Amino acid sequence: MKKLIALLLAVISVFALCACGSVEQDNGKAAGVVTEDDLNKDFVLKVGFDAEFPPYGYLADNGEYDGYDLAVAKELCDRLGWGFEAVPIKWSAKDKELEAGNINCIWNGFTYTGKEDDYTWSLPYADNDIVVVVKADSGITSLSDLAGKSLMVQASSSAAQAVEDNKEFKASLKEVVELSDYSLGFLDLDNGTVAAVAADYGVAASRINEKSDEYVILSETISHEQYAVGFLKGNTALRDAVNAELLKMAEDGTLLEIAQSSDYVERGLVIDKLILINK
Amino acid sequence: MEFQTVLSELVKCFGTTLAIFLLTLIGSLPLGLLVCFGRRSKNCVLRNVTKAYISIMRGTPLMLQLWVVFFGLPMLLNWFFGLFGLRYIADSQWRFTAAIIAFIINYAAYFAEIYRSGIECIPKGQYEAANVLGYGRAQTFVKIILPQMVKNVMPSVTNEVITLVKDTSLCYSIGLVEMFTRATQIANSSSDTFFVAFMTAGVMYYIFNFVVAWLMERCEKAMAYYS
Amino acid sequence: MILEMNDIRKSFGGLEVLQGIDISVGKGETVSVIGPSGSGKSTLLRCATFLETADSGEIKYMGNKAAWTDETGNMKYVSPSELKKFKSCFGLVFQQFNLFPHFTVLKNIIDAPVSVQKRSRDEVTEEAMAILEKMGLASKANEYPGRLSGGQQQRVAIARALAMNPDILFFDEPTSALDPELTGEVLKVIRQLAEEKMTMVVVTHEMDFARAVSDRVIFMDGGSIVEQGDPDKVLGDPDEERTKRFLRNYKR
Repeated sequence: MKKLIALLLAVISVFALCACGSVEQDNGKAAGVVTEDDLNKDFVLKVGFDAEFPPYGYLADNGEYDGYDLAVAKELCDRLGWGFEAVPIKWSAKDKELEAGNINCIWNGFTYTGKEDDYTWSLPYADNDIVVVVKADSGITSLSDLAGKSLMVQASSSAAQAVEDNKEFKASLKEVVELSDYSLGFLDLDNGTVAAVAADYGVAASRINEKSDEYVILSETISHEQYAVGFLKGNTALRDAVNAELLKMAEDGTLLEIAQSSDYVERGLVIDKLILINK
Repeated sequence: MEFQTVLSELVKCFGTTLAIFLLTLIGSLPLGLLVCFGRRSKNCVLRNVTKAYISIMRGTPLMLQLWVVFFGLPMLLNWFFGLFGLRYIADSQWRFTAAIIAFIINYAAYFAEIYRSGIECIPKGQYEAANVLGYGRAQTFVKIILPQMVKNVMPSVTNEVITLVKDTSLCYSIGLVEMFTRATQIANSSSDTFFVAFMTAGVMYYIFNFVVAWLMERCEKAMAYYS
Repeated sequence: MILEMNDIRKSFGGLEVLQGIDISVGKGETVSVIGPSGSGKSTLLRCATFLETADSGEIKYMGNKAAWTDETGNMKYVSPSELKKFKSCFGLVFQQFNLFPHFTVLKNIIDAPVSVQKRSRDEVTEEAMAILEKMGLASKANEYPGRLSGGQQQRVAIARALAMNPDILFFDEPTSALDPELTGEVLKVIRQLAEEKMTMVVVTHEMDFARAVSDRVIFMDGGSIVEQGDPDKVLGDPDEERTKRFLRNYKR
């Protein structure tokens, strides 16, 4: 039996190595943690993002992945001479993807507030509110109007976390429906199976921009938070390099230039909320 | 997004769906036969190991198995290489490879059971006739049993193959960009693409399956040379 | 002697189906084995053709030992490769024909001689066609067995056994699975073989046939041979009470 397991592992290893991976000396740090020496021309920044999360990450009309965050990340990599790879992930699996080294950062409207100790973070670069979207004709004007009604949030999102943390609000609801992406949620909203969708401001705004007469965002928000780039805990060398370059890009106006792209503004990007630029 | 763009994006990602489909069949059809041998083996360790394997593969969701292979296997390898002071790092190919592995080991279990029932419904007299005529074990299997088994299992295999076409969409759960994942991304890119994306994908799955069913029917007919 | 079986015993789960059978068959002899169902006739054939492993006794073909009981009382068989040589000494025709449904009639007949005995395909094909011709089945050579009647299938099965050029042919109730009107064509072929002095052991319920064709008839009951000898004697005027009773019941 032991022999069989050993053989099996050996076969898997050979296979895994040939097909899709590499083995290196264990330097005592977690996989995916890089040193300053690693950050050379051969380094590839693998950005994990949710391709169903406009304006920060989405599939553009030309069939390429686009989004404000991806554009900033790509520009940053170009400046540093790094390779850039956009890796679409399932948002609920983001931690596993990071730990497995499939990606080396999560850069996609990723909420920093409340998770300060879980990742190594870049500087916060945007303000965000978790807002509630309802149908314009629903008559709902405040969070308390939602008592006894259903609310949709994206699974594993910061909106889900915010609702979870707001115990009183959550208890007043009939149910919280978690779905994998917001397009399903807005469909639910259209069909009346949920009364409201809780989402990041950008995501909500992107919908409102498309159908301004159908939806409204409640002025009362569930929580206020900030976005930053999340790295695997302990990956400080990479974080420092990204931070330094982000600051430079803020100073020379590159960030503003990227943010002003009509693609992003149309999809709900609010330049006033980008805090690095306004510094 | 224009309908033409939606269509061309889905067609592009259909290549991945097709690759998953074909590689799974290429891997699992023969592997199923090996598993079937193990399941029918006289060696009780081998028999029970394969029995447990089949039971787990058929008794747990394929989506869960995808997750276990995609996330679990690298962890296992890391632990294994860790014993030698090394570590394993998966590259971007891993997402696709993991999906293929998960599909192959899952479908091999189903095929093994289909083969087993196909073999067990062959009358004992066929083995006895072959035995008396002096055929060896291997010869008996290859010349006498296998061809009859293949004919017996065609309807069940067709069923599985058609299910596989639809199951490829489960790769969505590990973020592998195949046709369904792409449809979801398109659906989310703006609010007017939701129905177009999923309807188009649905039609494409249907056409794919229509072709697959037609091919399998041809195979079944070709196998019906004797009664 | 082509076949000698001495003191063959076989039990299935405590029930002794063969209780020390002695049988020998000489060259050119046709032996019929009769007896009620459950008497052990078929098991005897299955032991002779190695489909069943006897518990004790001795099996010899052409004077060579294929199986024997050693000093400690354990049954010994020769190695599988040796056994394969013994298997080419005999052919067996089954009650249920057991033709290979995915092979044509011709392929059913020539495949074993070609792929087991490694004989030349052309030579075997020629031989097979001659056998089919003799049986009046030449036109069916390229049909699949499923399209033939039971009688035709059984004749193909006999042809398949003959193509191996066996020294002895065993028949296990060759007409029991056939409709009554189809038994004649099969019995005719066996009779023809008897006339050609093929060595044969036929387990059968066809008493008239056994009487007409056999050189010797063996009556088995309860796992042992009760009586054997000239067909007219055993079937016409048996010594043993059990034989008489069987024949009486059979006629009724």
